[in-house]
Amino acid sequence: MSLLSQKSMDLLHWVDYRLPLVKTFKTHMSEYYAPKNLNFWYFFGALAILAFANQLLSGIWLTMFYTPTLDSAFASIEYIMRDVESGWIIRYMHEVGASFFFIAVYLHIYRGFLYGSYRNPRELVWLIGMVIYLLMMAEGFFGYVLPFGNMSFWGAKVIMNIIGVIPVIGEDLQIWVQGDFFIGGATLSRFFAFHVALVPIILITGIFLHVIALHQVGSNNPEGIDIKAHTDENGIPLDGIPFHPYYTVHDLIPAVLFILAFFVTIFYFPDGGGFFIEPPNYIPANNLSTPDHITPVWYFTPFYAMLRAVTITFLGMDAKFWGLIVITGAILVLFFLPWLDRSPVKSLRYKGRISKAFLMIWTFCFIGLGVLGIKPADWAPEWVSPTFTVIYFAYFLLMPFYTRWETCKTVPDRITTDGQGLQQ
Amino acid sequence: MKLLYLMIALMLNSMVLHAAEDSTIELNSADTDIHDKESLRRGAYLFINQCTSCHSAKYMRYSRLAKDLEISEEDVMSNMLRFGATKISDTISSAMTPDAGKNVYGVAPPDLTLEAKYRGVDWVYSYLMGFYRDENSTFGYNNRVLNNVAMPWILAGNQETMSKEEFSRDMRDLTNFMDYMAEPIKPWRQNFGKYVIIFLLVLLLPVWLLKREYWREIHGLR
Amino acid sequence: MNNDSNNEIRNERRMFLIGTSCSLFAVGGAGWMTPYIRSWNPSVRARAAGAPITIDLTTIPAGTLLVEEWRGRPIYIVKRTQEMIAFALELNSELLNPDSADDQQPEYARNNYRSIKPEILVIEGVCTHLGCTPKFRNQKNTNGFTGFFCPCHGSKFDFSGRVYKGVPAPTNLKVPPHHFTDANTLVVGIDEERQA
Repeated sequence: MSLLSQKSMDLLHWVDYRLPLVKTFKTHMSEYYAPKNLNFWYFFGALAILAFANQLLSGIWLTMFYTPTLDSAFASIEYIMRDVESGWIIRYMHEVGASFFFIAVYLHIYRGFLYGSYRNPRELVWLIGMVIYLLMMAEGFFGYVLPFGNMSFWGAKVIMNIIGVIPVIGEDLQIWVQGDFFIGGATLSRFFAFHVALVPIILITGIFLHVIALHQVGSNNPEGIDIKAHTDENGIPLDGIPFHPYYTVHDLIPAVLFILAFFVTIFYFPDGGGFFIEPPNYIPANNLSTPDHITPVWYFTPFYAMLRAVTITFLGMDAKFWGLIVITGAILVLFFLPWLDRSPVKSLRYKGRISKAFLMIWTFCFIGLGVLGIKPADWAPEWVSPTFTVIYFAYFLLMPFYTRWETCKTVPDRITTDGQGLQQ
Repeated sequence: MKLLYLMIALMLNSMVLHAAEDSTIELNSADTDIHDKESLRRGAYLFINQCTSCHSAKYMRYSRLAKDLEISEEDVMSNMLRFGATKISDTISSAMTPDAGKNVYGVAPPDLTLEAKYRGVDWVYSYLMGFYRDENSTFGYNNRVLNNVAMPWILAGNQETMSKEEFSRDMRDLTNFMDYMAEPIKPWRQNFGKYVIIFLLVLLLPVWLLKREYWREIHGLR
Repeated sequence: MNNDSNNEIRNERRMFLIGTSCSLFAVGGAGWMTPYIRSWNPSVRARAAGAPITIDLTTIPAGTLLVEEWRGRPIYIVKRTQEMIAFALELNSELLNPDSADDQQPEYARNNYRSIKPEILVIEGVCTHLGCTPKFRNQKNTNGFTGFFCPCHGSKFDFSGRVYKGVPAPTNLKVPPHHFTDANTLVVGIDEERQA
């Protein structure tokens, strides 16, 4: 037994001399010091990685059975659902997994809003994260087109027409992207290639860089206190604990709960109540008939509501054009968040009343836009979605002012174990 | 913060309600039980005998139906296979080609495999129950749920001769079968799901104890 | 002392919890992998396409080869002439396994003719060496060979699909499950008992 363990140690040393296994494990796990007060908002990063791994595996399997052609795409989904053994659960894992991935990522991003995780020195972590979010939206869009149901088709058509709105080159660009004069076989094939190869490769790289950049500067925490400011004689943060084993065992609980929710959805609500698979996607694409209510999947609806909210002609450009500007701006503005926030403190816990109230209103408006994007255009009074859109932007654009003017509380130096600040 | 949670909860609530609601027409509850094999079998015979004159169900294999609904293959072969189907593994075809349908009715009769997923079971049931006499309609019948329906009411005879209870039971069976046909794995996954959930709940216990065990020393460090 | 024993209890408890969690995760992982593994089985469509085939024998001239497809494999059907049958019986010393002692055929075809009826041969046209399709030679050519000859590596089989000695193929050609529903109707892909 001891000989065997001696042999395996020898092998480990042999490998480790050539490939830094032990060092990597130490840097990123057993000697990566995370603040000891991370709360439930900090679960979602790990859960997002879990969801992404599930997407990769189930996705690779689906490519084995799916046919990306105009004539067979829809039928090949039914082939997976009926003829391929256990194919239905692999498809549901992918379809429900997409929404769960977005849920995790939206909460993960919102955590950044709450505790100022985008602030110095984590700007790059935030920027890479935003690129990941953007790519996820592209990935989600391409993926939704692949079954080529009627909602796939009309969703793709609406997005393609948005490209057509770009002045001068728009129409030619749209035809070039489609590879045809309508959403046809050529479009489907290239969307498939993007969905299964190009975007996932960039996503994997992006997620890798996101984690590496985070581990370079260390995790933020709900107090926004820099734990590296107080270290022991070995340079270990006094308020930090090794990620492994403490946070690995810690994160297992939400992981199991997440998987539980995931499988409850798969076995009992695989269509997500019409939000994950919209009913019109159960009939094949029909280029002559739009579904009665055309709405994107839930994770796009806030931006979709903004697009619809813009109805004015301005500077000689029509409303379509300004709608495009608005949704592009709505996403781009997120990239500038690290530089818009001028508060002396990171965490909302120590920010002033205006920041707190404004974030609350902003959250309400963002979710409100999400609801409006699902509902028919005439569901709410006309002023609602433009107002929400304006508030969405005002939150960011006024941030440099109100974060500087408001009175903040003093941030403590150290973290206590119950997660509160400790005044010294 | 509590106020925000409340507002969000209200909005999410309205979203969920939206998923179930249809814009204007009130639907009857189908109240079907997909685990009731007797009902599914009756529905299957109704579907094959009545609907397939015009509609296909091109993703549904007879063999799957025989296995899931526990109808013997001989029974299916001799009583169900119609319109060009020769093998038990064939899918449910229709007597009418889409082009012929388009000539007769103006629209091709849609394939019905996924209709229950597309419209929802309540819609299907309400539609089947929603035919009424209307001399101005092309085929003498109109529909409460789908106005100016292009489909001749093939079950008019049944509706007139049967009692209301018998007829609505039939339509419920038919709806139930269409719900099953739209996703044949549905009864199985609903049965199996609970074992997965129980397993994960069991898994939660050691995982939770493990976390508590390790974190005891963190809290002790205070 | 007290502290040490405390630590020991603690360690034991940890090991137990880690063991339990890991075993449960292993069970869960196996369950989660199951659909991925099962999805590689032949699909219902593939199984339907691989269903037994029915062949009408009335049209086949005696002494010629008919090739049909079952599960993507060529099925050779030969209506053997009296000479072919007689020839097969003389060969025994040149054959590797003249009595068909192995499992290359169903029980009902374990006889000198390797068939249910002596005049109807049903074999898979897949060389038991590396899977090429042996050619049917019913006329003596320059080598003086008749039977099945595999062009890939020169394996030779007689009119019953029995392999000759001294060729690369190790076993006789396989006889697929088959039966006759009437005198002239052959079903390949299923035995008579399994059918009933």
